[in-house]
Order: sequence, then C-alpha cells, then structure tokens
Amino acid sequence: MASSKIPLLVERFDFIKLIQNVQENFDVFLPYQTEYDGKDNLSYKKYSGDNDFVLNKYRTIDPLKTLFYLTSESVLPPSAESRKRIVLGVKNCDLLALRIYDKALLEDNFVEPNYKIWRENTYIISSDCDDALQSCHCNLMEYTPYPQKDDGLFDLNLSQIDDKYIVTLGSKKGEKLLDLLYEHCNVKDAPEDILEKLTVQRDKVNKKLSEINKDFSAKRDYSKISKNQDVKVWSELSKECVECGGCTNICPSCYCIIVNDESVGADFKRIRTWDSCQLTGYAEVAGGGSPRERVWERFRNRYQCKFDFMKKNFSQYGCTGCGRCIAVCPAEIDQREVIKKLQEV
Amino acid sequence: MNSPNPFDVIKADVLNVIEESPQIKTFQLKLEKPLKFETGQFVELSVPGIGEAPFTPSSSHYQDPFEMDVSIMNAGFVTGKVHKVKAGDILGIRGPYGKGYPLDKFKGKDVLLLGGGVGLAPLRCLLLTLIHDIDDYKSITVCFGARSPEDMIYKNFFLEWDKIDKIHLMTCVDKIPDGEKWDGKVGVVPILLDDIKIDPKNAVSIVCGPPIMMKFGTFALVDKGFKDENIYLSMEKKMYCGFGQCRHCVIGEYYACKDGPVFSYDMIKGAEKIWE
Ligand SMILES: Cc1cc2nc3c(=O)[nH]c(=O)nc-3n(C[C@H](O)[C@H](O)[C@H](O)COP(=O)(O)OP(=O)(O)OC[C@H]3O[C@@H](n4cnc5c(N)ncnc54)[C@H](O)[C@@H]3O)c2cc1C
Ligand code: SF4
Ligand code: SF4
Ligand code: SF4
Ligand code: FES
Repeated sequence: MASSKIPLLVERFDFIKLIQNVQENFDVFLPYQTEYDGKDNLSYKKYSGDNDFVLNKYRTIDPLKTLFYLTSESVLPPSAESRKRIVLGVKNCDLLALRIYDKALLEDNFVEPNYKIWRENTYIISSDCDDALQSCHCNLMEYTPYPQKDDGLFDLNLSQIDDKYIVTLGSKKGEKLLDLLYEHCNVKDAPEDILEKLTVQRDKVNKKLSEINKDFSAKRDYSKISKNQDVKVWSELSKECVECGGCTNICPSCYCIIVNDESVGADFKRIRTWDSCQLTGYAEVAGGGSPRERVWERFRNRYQCKFDFMKKNFSQYGCTGCGRCIAVCPAEIDQREVIKKLQEV
Repeated sequence: MNSPNPFDVIKADVLNVIEESPQIKTFQLKLEKPLKFETGQFVELSVPGIGEAPFTPSSSHYQDPFEMDVSIMNAGFVTGKVHKVKAGDILGIRGPYGKGYPLDKFKGKDVLLLGGGVGLAPLRCLLLTLIHDIDDYKSITVCFGARSPEDMIYKNFFLEWDKIDKIHLMTCVDKIPDGEKWDGKVGVVPILLDDIKIDPKNAVSIVCGPPIMMKFGTFALVDKGFKDENIYLSMEKKMYCGFGQCRHCVIGEYYACKDGPVFSYDMIKGAEKIWE
C-alpha cells in the first residue's frame, strides 16, 4: 500500500475506472435510481456498465440483507457463491444492522454457512447520506447518517462532495481496496477545504434529520413497550395493520426464517426462507397452540423484539432508524408515532 | 477456519419401531457418527426430503453415543411421516441443542418428575440417567399420567422402576374407557401430588407434558410449596433451527432452543402466555 495520509481524495469519473477494471475479479453492486414509486427511490443493482449510480443521498429501498441473507437459499448444501464482491453506497443504518446479523449468524458453534460465505467474500464501501427521506430517523436511535470508524463495519467509506469522493479506511480488509484504488485511480490527499465542506455537509444532513423528526424525541422510554400489556392500547395501535409482514421483510435487522426440506432425486436440499413474526402461523405449534394468536399480540411482539429482546441479545436495538418499515406499511403505521403514543399512556 | 454446517445431519438407521400407544412410537436409532448429549437436550430429526422437527431423546445419556431412542407422537405433518417409517429406513439427525437438566442442582435432593402424554419421553431419559447415579439423589418420585390406559407409554418399565428402593412411582389416567383395565388412579396428573411423601420446600420438580398439564401441574406444585426456582419446565416452542437463528422459539429475551428448552419457573414466569 502506498503510504499516504488518510483521508484521500478521488474524482468520481476516475473512480469509475476502478469499478470497470475490477469486473473480472469482482461482482460490483451499487445503488441506482429506480422507476419504482417515483424517483426518490434507490435500489441495488449489479454493475453492468451503467455509470449513473448514486452513492450519496440516502438508503436504498431494498435492505442490505438482500445481498447477504437472500430471501430463500439452500443451506444444505450451501448455495452462496464464493465469487468476490464489492458492495458500494451502503448507508450507516444498513451497516449497523449487519452487526446484528454478525452476532446472530456467525456466533460460536453455529455458523450460518451462506451468510459466512457472502460476508467473507464481500468488501463493503459505505457512503455518507447527504440527504434524508421523510421516514429516516437514525438520529432518534442516536446514530449518525454516516458510518463511524469505531463501529468497524465498513472497509472503505466514500463521502461525496460535488464530483469527488473523500476516502477513509475502516478496516484491515479495506487496505486491499486502497491498493486497488491506487492501482486504477489518481489518488490525492484530501485537502483542508474539501474536509471543511464535508463538515458543513454533515451538519446539514443532521439538521435535516432533526427537522424531519421534530415531532419525536430520541429520549424514549422503551421499557414501556414490554411493560404495556394493555389489550386496548395495543389493539388501537395495530387496528389498521393488515398483517402483510412488509415491515419485517424490509427491515435490515430482521432475520427470522423458516427451514424446510425438498427432495431432489434420491437426495434432498434444506432451504431457509425469510419469515415474519407478523404472520399468523409464525409461533403456532402442532395442535394449533400459539402464544400470539391475535394481531395486536404479533404487532406488539415486533416492538418488543426490536426494542427489548434484541437489545438484551445483542446489546443493540433491533432498529437502526432506516425508516423502511414506515415507508412500506400499507396501513401507514409510523413506528415513530407508535413509540411516541406509548410514552403517553 | 472451516466451521461445520450446523444444518447438516448424521445418518440414523432405524433398528426397531416400538408402538407405545395408538399415537406414540419409539424409534430405536443407530447413528453413523456418535452424538453425545446431556439429558434435557434435544435433537432435530428429519425424514429425508420431507422435513424435520425437534425431539428429546428418551434413552439415557449414558447410552452408547451411537444409539438413541426417540419417542414421537403423531401430531401433524412431519411426525405423521415419521410414523410411517419402518425398521431398516433411514432418518437424519442433528444436535444436540439447548441446555441439559441442571443435574448438579438435583444432587442430594428429593426429585419429583411430573409428566403426561409424550412428555414422558424426556422424563424417561432423565429418569434413566438418575437411576444410573441413584446414590446421588435422596429419592425420586415419578408421577406419570395419560389420557387413558392405552395412551400410557413405557408401561412395561413400570414394574422394574418400582422395584428400585428410592423410586416412588405413581400413575394416573384421565378416564378408563370400556374394555380397558387400570389399577392406578383416575384423574388428571396434579392429583398424584396429593400422595407425595417428600418435603416440597427442599425438593426439585421437573415437569413435561401437554401445555394444559404443564400449567395446572406447575400451579399445583407451587400450591404444594415447591419454590419457583425448583420447578423445571420443558418449553416446547415452535423451532426451526435449534441454535438461535430463526427466532421462532423466543420467550421474551430467551431462546427456548439455546437457553432452554428447560427453564426454571422463576426465569420465565413474567413472560406472557408461556403455557401456549
Ligand atoms: C424441544 C422440543 C422437544 C420435543 N420433544 C418431543 C418428543 O420427544 N416427542 C414428541 O413427540 N414431540 C416432541 N416435541 C414436539 C414436536 O417437535 C412436534 O410435535 C412436532 O414439531 C410437530 O411437527 P409436525 O410437522 O408433525 O406438526 P405440524 O403441526 O404439521 O407442523 C408443525 C410445523 O411444521 C411445519 N410444517 C407443517 N407442514 C409442513 C410442510 N408440509 N412442509 C414444511 N413444513 C411444514 C409448519 O411450520 C408447522 O407449523 C418437542 C418439541 C420441542 C420444541
Ligand atoms: S421476531 Fe419479528 S421483529 Fe423480530 S426479527 Fe423476527 S420478524 Fe423481525
Ligand atoms: S424497524 Fe423499521 S426503521 Fe427500524 S431498522 Fe427496521 S425497517 Fe428500519
Ligand atoms: S407493514 Fe404495516 S400492515 Fe404490514 S404487517 Fe407491518 S405494521 Fe402491519
Ligand atoms: S429454534 Fe431457531 S432460534 Fe430457537
């Protein structure tokens, strides 16, 4: 690795060369604007020569887990591919959720085979958000809209300023990416005036988040969720819920799955598929008993899982404030409102 | 670093199938590789290409680790398929999962097993293990129940167990249909507690059975004076993975598969709807 002072600076047009030149050895995934539901939405796509990717702005509609824990995968034998990948434009809310996955799936004796393969073979180049969606609320979870090196979750981070990227290193793995950067691009030390612009830009997006969420407070007493077992309160909060499971499927930190076997000739495959605690049969056992028969019980379970159980399991809330569950909900249930209302009863 | 695939199975030859009751069969398995477990832990058993489900071995944990008995009630899709399995067929098995019974905490004490239906399966595993080290325990009271005499499993062991000095065996059935014979008590399992001869304050109890039996059994034990922390319950939650990755089994902050399946009553008392 060339010895240089980090942060570095690279021009966007120059950086594209890196993407183009590594195609032989890497699958590269990037956020692009999608046709779906207006132009505000970004979605990951595999690079195929289209240079209109968007690394800045805000999160994609699809959670990062779609690249690491696919909707349905064979776990026996593992179906993940060991081809090297680079995923770019990952936002902090997705990165922080990945930490939950790491804790749940790579733990001690039981290592999820596909996740391990995808995770080990993927380099993550994250990016700052320089804008926010109405549903974004990482600030309420006391996270920032740009990754923190201390979390150790990104390999490289690119902060876009005009047509340039400020490059910072996040991990040992990232050094390999830096080598590639030097190999394919013209890399400079980031000058002071650009770094000042970054500070201004970060301030701006933080302010925007505060403005978007001005009706809500980060000082929320989450213990009220588990403490409140009032049928009336929860029935009211969940009365519009149509039990579609959208909020959990779209959530970057939900990882519930079912496992079933399929025969293939004389042999068999074992498949795991996403599941959702919002669906009726989720916890039902043989004979029909279920600890959460009613909609409000399942609705409440999601809040308990995210703000109580996961906190105890992983020392981190099961919500990073990405806002996807709010954007996706056909019943227009806003998680922020639900938690706010619970503070008041 | 190459970690083993936790979803992979060990081949298990079915040596013998014993019909214990109209609903319950015991499968005697010979495993291709050893699977050492502690009493109270469970395994996932699969019919190749059909599916898998969690079960607790019913044989002692001192048995040859290449052998295992599993007693299974026909309760639905997978168990229905398992019931069609015959000697000579092949099943898959993975595990063991969860924590075993805390035998250390039972040592020197009066131990009471309270079970009903197919819940006797894990309790037989425990009982056989306790019998192996019988000197370590003060006494063992066994309270087993079933719906009717023909539903009572492991009957042919009763005589043998009853002969052991430290074991006090009591059984009951809910009812005696016409044409069936029964010498024991009639009623639901908690009635057996009326006749126990041990001091509940210093005893431990282990409960396993259908949810309704667990519930009223636990309440009866508490009434008798058993302390919450001395009542151990087997929580049979929905499970897919067995090792903390599907989240289906969670009881509050606990995973029934990793932190259980056996919990002391004081641990989970506060969680809602534990009996369902
Ligand atoms: C720790 C533990 C220990 C246990 N020990 C024992 C024991 O020793 N003996 C015993 O008899 N029982 C035991 N049980 C209970 C046993 O696991 C259940 O009876 C069994 O899971 C029922 O499975 P089933 O498929 O037959 O029932 P179903 O009611 O048919 O299915 C249960 C679940 O399996 C899935 N399923 C159903 N049909 C299909 C399908 N077509 N394809 C894919 N998935 C399907 C569904 O998600 C369904 O909700 C234990 C349970 C636990 C949790
Ligand atoms: S229990 Fe519900 S909220 Fe929790 S991870 Fe699973 S699907 Fe998500
Ligand atoms: S709970 Fe909602 S806002 Fe929080 S991480 Fe999941 S999808 Fe995003
Ligand atoms: S997305 Fe909305 S309607 Fe669908 S399950 Fe979640 S809360 Fe209910
Ligand atoms: S059985 Fe999957 S988490 Fe417990």
